[in-house]
Amino acid sequence: MTRISAKYLAKRVVISYVTILIIMTLLFILLRSMPGNFISGMITPEMTAAQVERLEARWGLNDPLWLQYLRFLVNYQMGNFGWSPTWNTPVWQLVIRRLPRTVILFGGIFILGFMIGPLVGMYLGWWRGSSRDQTVFTGGLLAYSMPVFWIAWLFIWLFNFELGWLPSAYMLTPFPEFELTPLTVIRDLLWHITLPLISVAAVGWVGSMLVMRTQMNNVTDEDFVHLARAKGLSERTVMIKHAARNALIPVATQAIVGIAFIIDGSVIIENVFNWPGMGQILVQGVLNRDFPTTQAIFFVLAVLIVVARLVTDIAYTYLDPRIKFGEEG
Amino acid sequence: MAAEERSWYQSTRRKWEPRFERIARGWRRYRQHRMGILGLGILVFFSFWALFPDVFAPHSPQWTAYLGTEPGRLTARQVETLPHPPAFGDPFYAPLGTNDYGTDIATLMVYSAETALYIGFAAGILSSLVGVPLGLISGYYGDTWIDETIQRIADITYSLPFLPLVIVLVAVRGITTTNIILAIVIKSWVNNCIIIRGETLSLKERAYVDSAKVAGASDARIVFRHILPNILPLSFVYLAQDAAAAILTQAALAYLGLADFTTFSWGLMLQNIQSRGYIFQAPWWLLPPGIAITLVAAAFYFMGFSMEDVANPQRD
Repeated sequence: MTRISAKYLAKRVVISYVTILIIMTLLFILLRSMPGNFISGMITPEMTAAQVERLEARWGLNDPLWLQYLRFLVNYQMGNFGWSPTWNTPVWQLVIRRLPRTVILFGGIFILGFMIGPLVGMYLGWWRGSSRDQTVFTGGLLAYSMPVFWIAWLFIWLFNFELGWLPSAYMLTPFPEFELTPLTVIRDLLWHITLPLISVAAVGWVGSMLVMRTQMNNVTDEDFVHLARAKGLSERTVMIKHAARNALIPVATQAIVGIAFIIDGSVIIENVFNWPGMGQILVQGVLNRDFPTTQAIFFVLAVLIVVARLVTDIAYTYLDPRIKFGEEG
Repeated sequence: MAAEERSWYQSTRRKWEPRFERIARGWRRYRQHRMGILGLGILVFFSFWALFPDVFAPHSPQWTAYLGTEPGRLTARQVETLPHPPAFGDPFYAPLGTNDYGTDIATLMVYSAETALYIGFAAGILSSLVGVPLGLISGYYGDTWIDETIQRIADITYSLPFLPLVIVLVAVRGITTTNIILAIVIKSWVNNCIIIRGETLSLKERAYVDSAKVAGASDARIVFRHILPNILPLSFVYLAQDAAAAILTQAALAYLGLADFTTFSWGLMLQNIQSRGYIFQAPWWLLPPGIAITLVAAAFYFMGFSMEDVANPQRD
């Protein structure tokens, strides 16, 4: 039953862990080369030199670099991200509170994008070269070229400003007048998430559509497609049950790669819709020179990507019967 | 003497003719794609804007509504009318209206074309210059430690969140157009590298590579003379896609407040309309920059996908 051996699983986990370590090292180098340091956000012109010195000593900035690096590695793996001068709370708490919100938005975008894209790509690839294919394909590329925040503004203008149907900001109603039960909260969440999701989906479906279209076109001439047709199956059954299933595999690969790119979309969309997630404080942290927050958010997003890649990678090897990893060969 | 010259001319001509022939054949295939021609047309149009902005712009960038280029002050009543909707001669000529400072939107649009095209071409070319050679090397020495090293680096780069990385890099290095381009390239070379590697892996098994090897050609000669010409069309496809992605990334950075404020750019125009709070009041200011970004990015995508068909003809 299980095609994935423990050895393969262990190897993947170790590679992911090493990747995270390397990313941490890069992050350390990157932020040490940034002008200013962790305490520049806390120093005010009225502070005396002695006070600045005391701050430096407290944050361990006078220690040798290797010690700082080691401390950074250990602290980060323990989830000890330091103290945010902007929000005046431990960064860990910021992350814990905001991570689920980002994951909700991120998951929604991911699912929606990979539901619409392959479906459209399937039809376009099957009838490649037809005028309908040309029109939808050109239109899709045009949609792919739109700045996400701009199309989001247009949607806000239409659905919020003109029609007043959907809210344009926040994840939940800030001061709810309705009774707070799980059902109403979920309904409120869905109501708030609609506009961000539509905005990203309007652009994001194209990526998987492009891959699916190419793959679909590649399988149209395969033997098993001709066989299915010769068996007398309807065109629709051949397309969906026989061609599309095989074309889907490279789309799954692309989904793994695409995870990193969806993060970008959610960073922007969080800022447009005031979604209280991690992308929002990342940008604010960079602009306020809030080093601990910036560093921690970057790290958590990177870990999120690595973990998501690991999970999809394993799921993918599990789903595709032709891949036999973990067995010698 | 004359005979010698003619023979030199003829031998050169014989040497180059097949290459011209190949380019001409590619162009004929490319021309069949209405989408590719459309993309090329859009790009040429915006290139004219970028090259000769003073010809196409109705005013100079220093021009202000009501005052023109004269120094002076707007009256309170005049300031109230800003941002001014499109006006044709009365009280001033501004075909796309003005922003809240009284600068002509059409002028800003024309002068911004240069930044977008510069970022697109520079980021596209740079990521190809990094990604294509690495992909070639990685593919040619497939399954050796060289390949493994390059693939590990690519893997780690894939795991970095792109936009956060660019945001941090730009914040570290200072917000200039050059730094934005460099930050984009740090991530975008990976795609080119992976694709070129895959293509090289299959190309190096071809018979003509074997015969070159038997003839005693060095690795460098095989890679650059025999494999590179075959992957060049494909690398142009990804160059175009990188260019489009770079233009969109610049707009996104500008939206987040990380635009180079010393140059004109469409992203900056959109950032301004947001920071000054006129998104829902001034459609003549909101729509043109977004449409322009979309058109230029789409032009690169259109050309890329049409070239893909030239590079890798599909079965009809």
